[in-house]
This record gives sequence, C-alpha cells and structure tokens, in this order.
Amino acid sequence: MFFLFHLPVLTKTLLTSLVAILTLIGIMTRPFQWNEALIALAGAALLLVSGLLSPLDAISTLLHEWNTFFFFLGMMSLSALAEEAGLFDWLAVQAARLARNSASLLYLNIFLLGSLISMVLSNDATALILTPIVYVLITKLRLPVIPFLFACTFIADTASILLPVSNPINIIITSHFPLDLFTFLRLLFIPGLVVIGINIGAFFVLYRRKLHGRFDIKRLTSAEESIRHPAYFRYTCIVLMLVAIAYVIASATQLPLSLVALSGAFLLLIGALFWKRAAFKQLEGHISWSIFGFIAGMFIIVQAVETTGLTTQFGQLLLHLSGNTGFGAVMVGTVGSAIGTNLINNVPMAVVLTSALHTVQHAPLAIQHGFIAASIFGCDLGPNLTTVGSLATVLWLLILRQRGVNVSGLDYFKVGIIVTPLLLLAGALTIWLLLLI
Amino acid sequence: MKVLCCLDGVNNEQISEAAAMLAAAEPLTYGLVYVIDVGPRGEIERTRERFMRRPSGPLSPRHSQMQQAEQASAHDILNEGLRYFPGAETLQREGRPEREIVNCAAEWNADVILILPRAEYGDKPAIGPKSVGHVARFVLDHAPCPVLLARPVTREQFPMPR
Repeated sequence: MFFLFHLPVLTKTLLTSLVAILTLIGIMTRPFQWNEALIALAGAALLLVSGLLSPLDAISTLLHEWNTFFFFLGMMSLSALAEEAGLFDWLAVQAARLARNSASLLYLNIFLLGSLISMVLSNDATALILTPIVYVLITKLRLPVIPFLFACTFIADTASILLPVSNPINIIITSHFPLDLFTFLRLLFIPGLVVIGINIGAFFVLYRRKLHGRFDIKRLTSAEESIRHPAYFRYTCIVLMLVAIAYVIASATQLPLSLVALSGAFLLLIGALFWKRAAFKQLEGHISWSIFGFIAGMFIIVQAVETTGLTTQFGQLLLHLSGNTGFGAVMVGTVGSAIGTNLINNVPMAVVLTSALHTVQHAPLAIQHGFIAASIFGCDLGPNLTTVGSLATVLWLLILRQRGVNVSGLDYFKVGIIVTPLLLLAGALTIWLLLLI
Repeated sequence: MKVLCCLDGVNNEQISEAAAMLAAAEPLTYGLVYVIDVGPRGEIERTRERFMRRPSGPLSPRHSQMQQAEQASAHDILNEGLRYFPGAETLQREGRPEREIVNCAAEWNADVILILPRAEYGDKPAIGPKSVGHVARFVLDHAPCPVLLARPVTREQFPMPR
C-alpha cells in the first residue's frame, strides 16, 4: 500500500471517485481497443494498491456475489451445450416451416422464438446464438436481412425482463433485493408482455414494406438435418425443460438460481461427454472469461465508492427525485437506469444501482418495489437505445461519418432511438399501474 | 454496348424486360453483378462486442456457416440470372453494395448500368421521396456511366392530370 497514514475522509472520497470515474470513462471509450475487463480490473487494482479499499473488503464483496458469478457460468454453459445439440438451428427451421411461406408470419415467429429463448436461456443466447442462425436462414430464403437481424437484437433485450433468469442483470439486482415470484411476475413479466407486443408492432410498422413477400421453404434444409445426434438432442430438450421448471420452483422458494443453471449445465455436459458431442476445451472456448473479470472489477470499484457514502447519497437523490411516490420511483428508476446503461454499460449501472438502492429500503414497500422493478427494466431495455453499446460509441460513429468513413452502426441507432423510448415509457407506465394493485 | 444488370435476388424478370428494350438497338454484352452485403455480418460482430465476447474468427463454425450461406445464395442468384441472360458474364462482389456496383461498372467498362429503384418484396412500388433506395441513389449519383433506372410499367395512371 502506498498510503501508510490515515487519509482524511474528503481526500479518500475524492481519490476513490477519481479512480471510479476514470475507470468508467475507460469502459465507455475503450482507448486503444482495450478490453473492458482489463480496464475494470486495473481500476480495482489501483484502489487496492493505494489502500482506498482493503483486500479483505474486496474479497468479502466478491464472495458475497457468488450467485452472480455462478449464474453467468451456468448460463453460458447451458447455451453453448444447447447450441451444440442443434437446438437453436432446429427451432429456427421450425419457425420457418410454421410461417407457411409468409415473410410476415416468419417475422412474427422469429420474435416469438427470440422471446422464448431470452426468457429461458437469457438474452445472451438470443443475441449471440440465434442471430447468426437467423441470418443464415434469411440469406438462404432471399428475404431482407436487416429487419430480421434487428428483430433478434431487440427482442433479446426486450424479452429479458420476463423472468429473473432472462438477463444476468436481473440476478445482480435480485441477489440484493429479492422479489418473490408473484411480485416479479406482476411487476416485470406482465410489463414484459406489453413491451414485447409493442416492440413487435413497432417493427412491423417500420419494416412493413419489406415483409410483404413470400419465400420458398425448399431453399432450407429439413429441421431433422439440424440435429446432429438425435439421442443427445432429445436429452438436451428434456434437461432444458427440467431446468425451466426448476427455475420457476427456485424463484418461488427463493433458492439461488445459479445452482439450477449450473446443475443444468452439468447434466448437459455429462450428456455431451457421453455421446462425444463436446469436450471441455470446446465448452471453455464458448465461455467469455473476461466477463468475470469485468464484473469482479466493477463490484470492487462500487464497493469502494460505497464506503465513501457516495452511493448512499445517490440513492437519497433518487428518492428525493421520485417525490416519494410510486410513480416517481418507477419513472426515475427507469429513465436513470436506461440513460446510465447507455453511458457506462448495463453491468456497472446495475451494480451502482444495487448499492444506491439500499437507501430506499426504509421507504414504503410500493416505492421499494417501484425502484427495484424500474431498475431491472431500465437496465435490461436500455441497451436497445443505442444498440451499438454505448453513447460514447455513437458519438465516435458520428465523428467517423463526418470523415467519410462507413458508419453502418448509425443506421441501427436510428431504429433504437425511435422504438426504445416508446418501450421504456409503456413498460414504466405498466409497472406503475401494477404497483397500485 | 455493355449493359450491367444489377441483381438483388428478386428482380430478374423486371431487369430482363428493361433489357429487352435495349436489345433491339445492337448486339449487347450483358454482365450480371450481385454483391454480398457485409453490413449485417458487421452488425453481428458489433453485438458480440456489446456482450463482451471475442470476435468470431474465420475458423468458427458459425462464421463458416454464414459465409457458405452467402456464397451459395450469391451463386444461385447469378445462375438464375443466367436463365434470363444466357451467355452473360457473372460478376460476384462482396462489400457495400452501392460502392461495389459503381466500382464494378468502372472495372468492367460498363456503358450502361441497369438497376431497379429498390428491392421489392411483394409490396407495390413506392412513389415520392422514398421511391429510390439508398443503393440505387448512390449508383445514380456516382456511376461512371449512364444509369437506366427500371421502373415497373404502369400505363393505367396515364394521362396524368395536367
């Protein structure tokens, strides 16, 4: 440690804030294309080395968040092994077959499929696994790619508020502020259905000219050809159904959801090894280990900021801005988390909110629930606003456009900026109305 | 005269009808160009970045699958074009469609580019400001030769009110 003497509180607060702000700026701007995880860990290391946070506090914080880390591991493993079984390919072909050669019906089916996958396997699975599969499907069918690509990217996040397991952000927040299953379904599942409906409707309006056509299903391979090993496929389907049921039971009984995710992943791995469908090394390649570093770094940094009392003040500010009403709590929570998500990425925003919301624990229950539900809602849907990751990236793309460089990311931003505020408003109003019940 | 016909997978009939008008003039050399648009793949990679995943390298199975689908589709589209334009030269490109078309026209020394205003997926043709899509607009603005914008034949609306 560099500081061997006691620091005045103000100095400690300023130094901690400076490290946190520099880390967040680094995450937003990613200088020299540095990995976000490295930036977050560097910030955490600086806090530890300078004595602004004790190693014991850092370790205690990380151990306290074991549910989040294990959930990420279980979720990524489940998706990777389900992909290996050909489940996503099979589902995509089935969606095409059920569309009866109609482009608009296929579009609806892709939205519904994306919603189902997000709900049970999380938004990562829809955005990262389903999207390229749909791209291949649409390319073969000679349909316009952009509407379908965008459908997958959007519905991944829109549908991720349906269940606690639909987005790792939900786990981060509900690990600290558990909502019983009935409350979660009331305040988030129902608004989730509303925003999914609006999302689908808005996209049908935006892309109506491109969805009139028909396609020739003969251009696709049969659904059975997506299944490389029938026995492993059937086994995977059974395990995933059991996992889905276990998720509901665990949510109802407040058991850690990460244990369900890990157990499901373990069962699938046993099957994959038994039928020689995958090896450890293959699975390891599908897991993004940098996410763990990123989250760990953020937890440590926010813990350090929390010890200065800044997050408590932030929480009090949120409470003050809400006017101590349920409506205010929902609106402030939604807008604040959506904007913050686009400024600094949804994981750090969720961690910051988790710290700040400890302040509202003494507020009336409706206000507490309003803030919790709105934070989950805003952090889950917020990324759809910019679609390219953050406002910093959008600003950079604008600069590139002025220099005549290709900036196709901005075209996607135009859709996000139209549709997402609509979804945020409709969802927030629905949450508020359901709070009154 | 060399006529460059721009295919998009759904416009073979319209392009051949438009080309028939030129056929009466003199023996024509046809080139059929199809551009694999790399924009969507770029968006998929950006999504991976947003979720903090490594870029899917050229060896990844999904990446190969996407490329194979693109190549197969391009091959089929050009072969279908050859049924309408037997003996035409096929030109497959990859990149941003608008830029690849004008570059191809320059490299191939096209005398005329034949293009539809926008891809039509079953809807009736647009009129007004959105009647010409961004690809056709770019080609109109930057082509190295005259551009024949093939509109669908609609004689029913004539005579127009004067």
